[in-house]
Parts: sequence; structure tokens; C-alpha cells
Amino acid sequence: MNMKASSRLQEILSNGEFAVTAECGPPRGANPEVIRKKGELLKGWVDAVNVTDNQTAIVRMSSIAACAHLLQMGLEPVMQMVTRDRNRIALQSDIMGAYSLGIKNILCLSGDHQSFGSQPDALNVFDIDSMNLIRTVQTMREDGKDMSGFELNAPPSMFIGAAANPFADPFEYRVIRLAKKIDAGADFIQTQCIYNMDRFKEWMKMAREEGLTEKVHILGGVTPLKSAGMAKFMNNKVAGMDVPEALIDRMAGVSKEKAVEEGLKICLETIAELREIEGIHGVHIMAIEWEEIVAEIVESAGLTPRP
Amino acid sequence: MTENFKPKITLFHCINTVPEIGGFSLTGQDNFELQTVKLACSSMVKDVFLLRAFEAGSDAVIVLVCPEGQCRYVEGNIRAKKRVAWVRNLLDEIGLGGRRLSLSNISAGNNVAASQIIQNVLKDLEDLGPNPAV
Amino acid sequence: MIVGEQKPILEIKEIIAPYKKILILGCGTCVKTCFAGGEDEVAVLASALRLACKKDGKEIEIEEFTVERQCEDEFIQESAPAISRNDGVLSLACGAGVQAIARRFAKSPVLPGVNTMFIGVLEKQGVFTEECSGCGNCRLDIFGGICPVTRCAKKLLNGPCGGSQNGKCEVNPETDCAWQMIIERLGILGQMDNLRIYVPPKNWQTSLSGGPRKLVREDHMI
Repeated sequence: MNMKASSRLQEILSNGEFAVTAECGPPRGANPEVIRKKGELLKGWVDAVNVTDNQTAIVRMSSIAACAHLLQMGLEPVMQMVTRDRNRIALQSDIMGAYSLGIKNILCLSGDHQSFGSQPDALNVFDIDSMNLIRTVQTMREDGKDMSGFELNAPPSMFIGAAANPFADPFEYRVIRLAKKIDAGADFIQTQCIYNMDRFKEWMKMAREEGLTEKVHILGGVTPLKSAGMAKFMNNKVAGMDVPEALIDRMAGVSKEKAVEEGLKICLETIAELREIEGIHGVHIMAIEWEEIVAEIVESAGLTPRP
Repeated sequence: MTENFKPKITLFHCINTVPEIGGFSLTGQDNFELQTVKLACSSMVKDVFLLRAFEAGSDAVIVLVCPEGQCRYVEGNIRAKKRVAWVRNLLDEIGLGGRRLSLSNISAGNNVAASQIIQNVLKDLEDLGPNPAV
Repeated sequence: MIVGEQKPILEIKEIIAPYKKILILGCGTCVKTCFAGGEDEVAVLASALRLACKKDGKEIEIEEFTVERQCEDEFIQESAPAISRNDGVLSLACGAGVQAIARRFAKSPVLPGVNTMFIGVLEKQGVFTEECSGCGNCRLDIFGGICPVTRCAKKLLNGPCGGSQNGKCEVNPETDCAWQMIIERLGILGQMDNLRIYVPPKNWQTSLSGGPRKLVREDHMI
């Protein structure tokens, strides 16, 4: 665990408090009003807000710009950065630029393949992978040098995050991968949204056994379900997602009008269980395009007021 | 059939189907020309032979093969089937009409079936007309 | 081998439209083995083009010739007489062969008839798969003989990504996840510890990214 980054999220986690983060996507256009509105909905309810980076390879306002808008509103952003669209030159450049603007948290990802998005004809980059990106930020912060060994006029002292997916294959290897990300320099982990709690607990157990929960802050991901259809879609069509039959049945078992309520109940149950798991230091609420529900979730989960 | 259209048909056949086409009767029909090509196995029908048959002026090309599972060389008739399908597609792409090329399975010595197949093709040609690339 | 696919015939017909006398030049090596441009394919294409042009009332003379390889001068020069007899050459070789012909016969229009795709192998009858992207710095030794640069859609050196599911790649459910395969292979080899090793960013200078490459072997030059 690093001592040099000084983000609010890092402070909260270091103090042993249960952190709450949320996520929002920048708009498909140059008008920042959308981001400001989302920021208003989340302000005061979460400790930091992830801003996605051309998620699903759909062209949106850049993460760094959207983060800057949130900063101006007094929110703490977590800039997501994918290696799909930028080479190491651009990535290092943006890391320095982001830090200079006051962005202190970064989540390092490979990124969804461009074939999913709005510009499938584009040439992808993938000059380096997410593991390399984690190590790069760590080196810039700890050694004050860029990848070429050049001494920077000031290091970007970012709090470094990585993603983990306990539900992707192969299962046995996922903890080795977590260890590798920690070694590369990850300070915190946000997981894919959890529906299969048994499988998640198994993964956490393996992580604890490897001593990994001592070395990194893990935040469990949650996404409230809105309908049985959504549950089925996520299970079948979204890569790396595991929604147990029992949960799909539970959503299907209530009337359409009650579905949202049931989904929220499940979400709150998940959060309650997460708080009991040893090694879990927070929750990451991914209610994409439904940011208004975050306040209700945080409040109902008894996680207010935020420190 | 229009007055002056005397269809030319090229027929490729495996010798294990009907040994001699000439051997069966095409009741008094002299309103078409038939050219036959004997093959030791229908798998010998290469794509280029089928196309050259059309280049040489055929209006339709027939390929007779043994029933599936009964090819003396095991999969020869399957290969023929794949090739004929491929060339049919090509003929459609260039606008000649894949319908002009057909493959039929007939059991050994079934002259009646062979005769019927030719009749069917002649019927088709009433629709299709002469080879547009002649 | 280099794997390619013959262009759709209507596209080829358009490409050769300006010419009255065309030589279709085949290649007897890579494109022959993937059924795109060998002697047989030349014959079929020539026949089909004649039919297609005749049907449209278009005059065209098509000559057919095939050489062993279009990437070597020694073989290319055998086609010189045929090339000089025609207005244009439709080469069914891979992109390298087409360019070699164009370079040697600079006064003849040389047209491509094949879409060159990749360096690959014959996986099974009729199926060719991409295996190598010529990065110029092979580390198949640490990846259990499976190339993540080529076969991982994201070129991850420390994979897999979160999209790997049921051993398949998120981009195409029929594509095996390269990292799943690497992990399994390393397991068989007893080299699972390789997975714990951090693989640093790749030096792409040896790849096409550094510009088109040249190999000079002085020891083979007289």
C-alpha cells in the first residue's frame, strides 16, 4: 500500500471506513450539463465517482474532461483509463494531465473491444495492457519517472485501482491474476457486479488465503436489477457476468410493477452481505443511467452520512 | 420451346451410375443435343470442367452421381456435390443462373431415372432459355 | 503459409474492366494451398470471367499462366512473355507477390485478385486460422506455444481480460480465448508459474509499427 497518493478515497480506505463509490458515463456530445446533473445526484452520497472511458467502445466525451467537470463541482472522480484507444505516449501524457487538474484516482483497464461499439471500423491500440498501465502509474508515482526513465518535474501521485472479475474464466486463475495486479501496483480493486454471492465468497476466501486482502482494498460491485429481462440479458449477453437462475426466478416471480422494488431489495441484501465479508472495504455501485437510485441505495443500506 | 432453340446439354456421369447413356430411349426426341462425359468417379468432375462446358456452349449441365453412402470410392459423390454447389453459386453471381447446373443421385443402371432427369432439365430450359454467354 | 481469399468475382470483373487482354497469373505456393490462386483457381476464374463478360457482350481475351512463386524473381521472369502479350495482369498471389510482379514489370498494370489475410495454418480440412502477426520478437516460449499478440484480440501479455467466458473470446463466441488456452497449456507443461511473472510492455519497434521491415543476409550475398 502506498503512502504518497493523497486522494480522499484513499484516506477513507486507509482509515478503515467502509467506502462507497458510484459510476457515471460521460455524454455523447460536447455539452457537460449531463455530467453536472449526474454529479448533483451523487454528491454527498458517495466518496468517489468513477467516470468511464468510452465504455463499450462507444464514443463519448473523454473521461479526463468529464472528471474535470466533476472536480469543479466538488466531487472526487476516479478516472477510468482503457488501453484500447491510446498508446503509452498518450496514456502517460493523460495521466500527468489528469493529475495536474486535480484528478487523484485512476482505474486501469484494458477496455471492451472496439467491435462492440460505435466505431467497429477503428484500428485499436492495445500498445500496453492494463497490468502494464498499473505498473506505469506506480512507477510514475513512486520513482517520479516516466516509462522512458525520464525524471518528471512532478510525479502524478495517483491512487491506483484495477478491476477484478471473480465470475470470468478460468475461475482458479482469477486469484493469481488479482495477486499479479497487486504486485504491479494496484492499491484498490473494484469487482464486476455481484449476483452469485456464493461464487464471490469463494473467490474472497481464496484471496484471503493468499494474503491478498492485507495488501489491497477490495470494493464489491453491485448493480440493481430492474427486471427479469435485464437479469437474463446480463447473464446471457454480457461477457463475464454470472446471474444465478434463482435470482432470475426471483425477479420473474414478482409483477412488473414490483420488479424494481425487488431488484433494489436484492441489491441491499448484497450490500449487507458484503459488509460482513472479511477483506471487503467498500461497495462500488454501478447504476448506469440510473444515477438517481444511488442515493436511495446508500441511505437504505445505512451508509449515510458519508465521512 | 421457341422455334429455333435446340438446347445443348452436357451430362457428366459416374460409370457406376449408368454405364452407357445412349443405351436408353429418349422417345423420338431429336430436339436437343446431348454430350456425355464418362468419369471413373463423379469426384473427378472439377469446377473448371463444369464451367468449360458452359463456355463450349451448353445451355445446361447435368451431373449424375451414385446415391449417398454408395460411392465406390466412399466420398466421391460428396465431393461432387460440394463442387456442384460451389459452381452453382458462382453461376448465380455472374448472372448465368445456377439453375442451369444440377446434380442428381441415381442408383446403378437406373436408365428410367436418368431419362426422367433429362426431361426435367429440358423443361427447365423452357423457362431459362439459351445460355446467355454464347 | 500466407492465407488469402479470392476476391468476389464481380469485384474482379470491375477491376479488369478497362482491359481487353488480361493475363491471370497464379502462384503455386501459399495461395494454392488455401485455394485462392493456384493453377486450378486460375482456370476456374478465367472460365467464369469469360462467361460473365460474354454474357454482357463485353469483349475480353483471357490468358492463363501460373508460376511456382510470385515472390521470387527467378520464377517471376518465366511469366515475362505472357505479361508482354497482355494489357494487364491480374495476379492471384498474396500482396507481396502482386507487388513483386508490379516492381519487375513496371510498365504493365498489375491488379490484385486476392485479398491477403494472414499468416496461418491449416487447422483441419478446409479451415485456416491466423497464428502469427510477425511481431519480430517471438516469445512463444513463455506463453506455452500460443501467441497472445496474434490470438488475443487485445494483444494482452498479462491476460486474460474480464470478457473471457467459457473459454471463448468476448469478440466472437466461436473464437477460443487465447489466454484460456495459454493457461491450460502451461498447466499441461507444468509451467503455471509463468502466469505470475509480470510481462513488461512490448517493444513494438521490431514489428510493422516501426515501419516496413527489411532483412539482409550478407552471408548469402555474392
